[in-house]
Amino acid sequence: MHAKTFILQTLAVVAPAFTVFAASPDFVDDIQPILERNCVRCHNAEKTKGGLRMDTYKWIMQGGDTADAIVPGNPAASELLVRIHLRPIDEGVMPDEGRALDPKEIVLLNAWVKAGAPWPEGIALTEQKPEPVKRVSIPDRTPESATDAAAILDDILRRENEESGAIKTRTIDDLVFLRRATIDLIGRIPTVSEIREFEAWGNDRRVKLVDKLLVHPRFADRWTIFMADMLRVRSNIEGGNQLLAFINKSIAEAKPYDIMVRELIAASGRANSNPAVGFILGDDANPMELAAATAQVFLGVRIGCAMCHDHPFDDWEQRDFYDFAAFFGKTQKVGNQRMGTVYTTEGSKMNVLWPPEDKAKPEEREPVSPRFPFKNIKYDSKPSYLIRFEKLRAQQEQKSTEGNDAHALDSLLEAVNPTAGKKADPVLREAEKESRLLNVHGDIYRTSELREKLAGLITNPRNDFFARAYVNRVWAEMIGHGFVEPLDNFSPYADLHHASTLDFLSREFIASGYDLRSLIRIIALSDTYRRAPLTAEIPLTVRENSERNFTAAPQRRMLGEVLYDSIVTAGHLKNFKWPAGANMKEVSSEIRVPTGEYIMAEAEASAPEMATEKPMLRNDGYDLESSLKLDFNSILTPHEASELETMRKESDKQIKAREMAETQNKEKQKVMKYTIKTVTNTVDDNPRFDSAMRMASPAPPAHFLRVFGQPERAGLGEFRDPSSSLRQQLMMLNGRITHEASRVGSLEPIHRLLEKDKTEAIVHAYWEILTRLPTEEEKTFALSILSKDPHEGMADLRWSLLNCNEFRFIP
Amino acid sequence: MNACNDYQFTRRRMLKLFSASILGMPISRLMAERIPGQGHAEHVVLFWNSGGMSHLDTWDPKPGRKVQGEFNPIKTSVPGMEISEIFPQLAKQMHHASLIRSIAGTNGDHGRAQYELQTGFSQSPNILHPGIGSMVVHEREPLGDLPSFVSISGQPSRAGYLGQQCEAYYVGRPGEKDPYLAFPEGISHARGMQRLQVLERMNAQISGRLGATELKASETALKDAVALMESPALKAFELNEEKPQTIARYGDTEFGRGALLARRLIEKGVRFIQVNRGGFDNHGNIFNAMRAHGNAMDPGIASLISDLKANGLLEKTLVIVLSEFGRTPRINDGGGRDHWARCFSCMMAGGGTKGGTIIGASDEDGMEPAERPVKVHDLHATICYALGIDLNKEVVTPQGRPMRLVQKEATPIRELFA
Repeated sequence: MHAKTFILQTLAVVAPAFTVFAASPDFVDDIQPILERNCVRCHNAEKTKGGLRMDTYKWIMQGGDTADAIVPGNPAASELLVRIHLRPIDEGVMPDEGRALDPKEIVLLNAWVKAGAPWPEGIALTEQKPEPVKRVSIPDRTPESATDAAAILDDILRRENEESGAIKTRTIDDLVFLRRATIDLIGRIPTVSEIREFEAWGNDRRVKLVDKLLVHPRFADRWTIFMADMLRVRSNIEGGNQLLAFINKSIAEAKPYDIMVRELIAASGRANSNPAVGFILGDDANPMELAAATAQVFLGVRIGCAMCHDHPFDDWEQRDFYDFAAFFGKTQKVGNQRMGTVYTTEGSKMNVLWPPEDKAKPEEREPVSPRFPFKNIKYDSKPSYLIRFEKLRAQQEQKSTEGNDAHALDSLLEAVNPTAGKKADPVLREAEKESRLLNVHGDIYRTSELREKLAGLITNPRNDFFARAYVNRVWAEMIGHGFVEPLDNFSPYADLHHASTLDFLSREFIASGYDLRSLIRIIALSDTYRRAPLTAEIPLTVRENSERNFTAAPQRRMLGEVLYDSIVTAGHLKNFKWPAGANMKEVSSEIRVPTGEYIMAEAEASAPEMATEKPMLRNDGYDLESSLKLDFNSILTPHEASELETMRKESDKQIKAREMAETQNKEKQKVMKYTIKTVTNTVDDNPRFDSAMRMASPAPPAHFLRVFGQPERAGLGEFRDPSSSLRQQLMMLNGRITHEASRVGSLEPIHRLLEKDKTEAIVHAYWEILTRLPTEEEKTFALSILSKDPHEGMADLRWSLLNCNEFRFIP
Repeated sequence: MNACNDYQFTRRRMLKLFSASILGMPISRLMAERIPGQGHAEHVVLFWNSGGMSHLDTWDPKPGRKVQGEFNPIKTSVPGMEISEIFPQLAKQMHHASLIRSIAGTNGDHGRAQYELQTGFSQSPNILHPGIGSMVVHEREPLGDLPSFVSISGQPSRAGYLGQQCEAYYVGRPGEKDPYLAFPEGISHARGMQRLQVLERMNAQISGRLGATELKASETALKDAVALMESPALKAFELNEEKPQTIARYGDTEFGRGALLARRLIEKGVRFIQVNRGGFDNHGNIFNAMRAHGNAMDPGIASLISDLKANGLLEKTLVIVLSEFGRTPRINDGGGRDHWARCFSCMMAGGGTKGGTIIGASDEDGMEPAERPVKVHDLHATICYALGIDLNKEVVTPQGRPMRLVQKEATPIRELFA
C-alpha cells in the first residue's frame, strides 16, 4: 500500500465531516494557530527537538535531523504530516506531548502542504498556550436523585460527543449489568442466589442492586484495593498494614474522602496509635518525596518533575516545588530503637532550603517558607454545589462530637479495653492513669501545623484539582478510560477531554460531601456505564475512538484480586466441598529439624534478601495461590497503653544495660544447627480458599495476584499492568485454585443436580460461572463432554469455563 | 521483533511496523539490529550477589595492609593477577575472565543501589526502569521454545515500562519441576489436551463476536503457554539428566544447581539467566560468611566457565558476577565490614571479552578507584555493547515518554573486548 493511500484512508475513517476545509487554507487564520499552539513550544530557537525549528519558513524547510518536515505539494513525503497521522499510542507521534491534533486540524495541515505550503513573507511564529479545553453547558440545578444526576451526566456526555464520530453501542442486558456492577462494586461475580433475587426484582432492579452493593460488606474490601494502589500501600514497610486497615475502616464507615485525606496528610505519631501515619511513613517522611506524592496522588499534578529542574512539559518552576515541599519541611521520622517503633513528629527546623543543593554553597541556602502554588477557583456568586456542600457539612458537624486531643486520647485508651460491661483490668487502669500525666500527642508526637494547613488547602472545595483527580480515577476504574491519561496528570498540556462531564461529576462529588458511594452510584446508574463492547467487524481506529469517547465499553480484565475471589465464588472454595476423609493423600515435605548441636551463627541466616526476595514456598503447591487474611480489627486496636507502660517501667540506665547485653550476645551468638529431612504425611486434601481482598499487599513476587497485575506500589505513577502473559495462563491452566474450583465436590449443590439431570447441572454451571444461560448449542456440546463420566465431565466443563476469556473479562 | 512475548503491545507494534514499512519513516529502529563494530555475544549469565559483596575478600585482595582481613591472595592462571583464596577453582579460569576493580558507585543504600546496579539508572518517581535482563530480551529475539529470561533462586529487577512480557520466568528451586508447567495432579495429558480443545472453542466464540485485541492477546498467551508445556526443551529444567559427578563438580548446593541449570538453559537458547544469591550483607563475622560463600560459588562458577568453554558457548556467553556495592576496607568491631559504594569490583568472562584483563585499580586500601574509574551505568553500556545492542536505543513507555535504554553518558569498557 502506498503512503498516500494510507493517509487518505485514515482521513476517510476519521474525518468525513471536515473535507469541506480541504480547499485552500489561509496561513494566518488556519495554519499559524495550529503550529503556534502545538508545535513551536518544542521546535524553536531555544528548544530544537529532533533538530527541527518551526518558527520561521526558512527553518521549517531545513527539516530535522532525520527527514524533511515539509515537502511542498507532497504530504506523504512530509515527515510532519506522516507524524501527525500516527495514533497517540504509536512511536514517533506528533505532538508527542499534550493534546493530539483533531481531525479538522489534520485536514487543514494536509491541504496546506498539498497547496505548496504557502507561508507569507516575514511571519515568525511564537509559542501560544494551548486552546482552552472545550466545554459544554452544565445545567445549574440540583439533581433530584442519583438517577436524575446520572441522566444529566449522560446528557452532558452526549453533547460533548456530538462531533466525535464515536459509535454508541447498544445497552447491555440487565443480567450483564448484574455481573458488571457486582464485579466493579464488590469485587466478585454474583452467586446463583443473588441472580435469583435480582431477577425477582421489578423494573427498578438496577437501582435496587446498586443500593444493595453499596452497603455490601465487600464494598469496602474491593475499594480498599483501589485506594491502596492509589496511595501505594505496602505491607512490608512500617505502618503499611495499619494504613491498609485504616483505609478499609474509613471506606466501611463512609468517611468523606476529603476528611480521610486530611487525616493522611496531617498525621503524626506511631502507626499503632494513629494508623493514618502510614502515608507519611511510606515516603520515609522525606519532604521532597512527600511533596511530589501529595501533589500527584491527590491533585493529579506532576509537580515532582520540577524537583530537579523547571518542568519541561509544564509551567511549574523549581521554586514552586520547593515552596510546596516546605509544608513537609519540618516533618521528621523518628526511629525509636528502645521500643522498636517508628513514628513521625514535627521538628522545629525547616529542612527545605533554597537554592537547591547543586546550585549554591551550603551557607548560601535559606530556609523556604511554605506556599501553596495552586490557585483556587474564583466566582462572583457562590455556585450551588458549594452551597449544598456547606449545608451538608454543617449538618454533619453538628451531629458528630467535637474532638480534641484529650478526647482522642480518651477514646484511644477506651479502645484498649473496649468491653464496657467487663471489669476493668487493674494493670490497664494503672497505665491509663500514668498516660494521662504524659501528654503523648503534645510531647512526643507533635502535631504538624504546616501539614494541617496544607491538608486544608488541598481539600478546600474551591481547589478544583482535588475532586477532579479522584473522580477521574474512580471513573476510569469503572468505565475503562479516564478523562485524562495517565490518570494522575492534569497538566494544561495533557489531553483532557469530556471536561464538562468531569466537571459535573466532580461538583456532584463535592456536593455529596466527598462521598465515594454517591459518586459510584451516579456512574453505575448512568446510561454510559451500560454500554456494550463493539463487535468484531468495527475497524480498530473507530473502536479506539468510541472507547475513548465512552460510547463503547472496552474489554477490561478483572483485577487479580477480583479474579481470585470470583474463582473462589464460582468453585465454592470458601467452605469444605468434600466430607472429611474423602481426599486422603500422602504429601511429602521438607522440614527443618534441630540437631541439638550449637554452631556459630552464619551471616547468611540473618542477611537481608532484598532484591532476591523469594516468594513463600510451601510444598503442597498452594503457596503461590494462598490468601492469608490480615485481621484489620486487631491491627487497628491501639497499643498506646502498653507503649506508655514500657516507657514508665524502664529507666534509661536499664535500657542501656539491656542493649549492651544484647550486643555482647550477638557477637558470640551461637545458634542451633538444623538439618533438612523429608517427611511424608497423610493429609486430608480438602482445601479451602478465602478472599484475597484482605491479604498483606503487595503479595510476594510470583504470587497469583502479582502475576495478574498487582503493582509493586513502589514508585509514583505506577498503574496496574492490564496485559496478558504466559505466566497468567500457566497459573490458570495448571494452578491449584482453578483445579479445585473445577472438581465437583460431593457437598456442592451441583453434585446433587448431576445425579438428577445433567442438563440442569450444565445450566447451573453456566449461571454460577458466567451469570447466564447456555445457548442450545452450548448445552448440546456440554452434554457431549459429560457423556462418559458426568462428574469428571463437569469438572472439565467448569475448568474450561473458568479459563475462558468470557469469565476473565468484565462483560 | 523483540523477544518479549508481545501481548500488550501487539496492536501498537503491529501498527508501528505497518506504518513504518509503508511510509518508509526514519522514526525508529524497529528491528533490533546488531550494531556493527560491537560484540557478538548471544547470552548472559548474571550471578547477582545481594547485600553488597566484599571486593577485598574476593577480586581485589590487599595483602599486607591492615584492611586485608583473614584471606590471602592466590595466584591465578594469569601472571600477575591475584584473587582471594576463597576462589581456588576460579583462579584456574581467570585467563577467560576479566576483573573490573574500579567501579565508582554512588549509593550505599541496598534498595537504591540494587536498583541502580540492575537498571543502570537512579530511582526516580513516575518511571520504573527495566532491569538489564528485561532490556536484553526486549532487544533480542528468542532462540528456541523456552522463555528468554529466566531468574533462578530469586527475583531480578522488574521489567518496568517494557511491560509484563519482559519479566523473568521465575525458577524457585533449581532442579525442581515447576508445577505450573504440567496439568494439575490427577489430570492425565490426554484429558488435559481435551480440556484445552473445549477451551479454545469457547474462546474462539467470544473473540469471534467481539474481536477486541485484548482477547486476542490473551489467546496468544494461551497458545504460548501450551507450546511451552509441550516443549521437549523443558527437560533443560530437570537436573536428574546430569551425571551425579557433574552435579558434584558444580557443588550440590542451591547455588551449584543454579549454575548448572544456567548452563543447560544456555544450551537451549535462553538469552538471559540471572542466578541470585543473598547473604552478602556481612556487618559481622564476614570471614566465616565469605568462606562459606566461596565454597558454594567457586565450584559453580568455575565449572560453568570451563564447561561453556569446552562446548564452544563461552565465546557467545557473557558471564558476570556482580553485587550492589562493596564493603568497607576497615574491619568493624564485630569482625564485619559495612557498606562501601565508592569503590568495588566485578568479574566478567566470555561473551567476546578478552580473558585475563584487569580494568582499573583501587587505591592501596581499596577505598577509592585509583585508575580508570568505571561508572555504574558503564557496566550496562558494556553488557549492551557485548551483545551488539544499540546504545542509543529509545523506547517509548506506555505513558508516552521516550526513554533511553542506556544512559546517554554511559560508555562501554571497550578495552575488555578482543
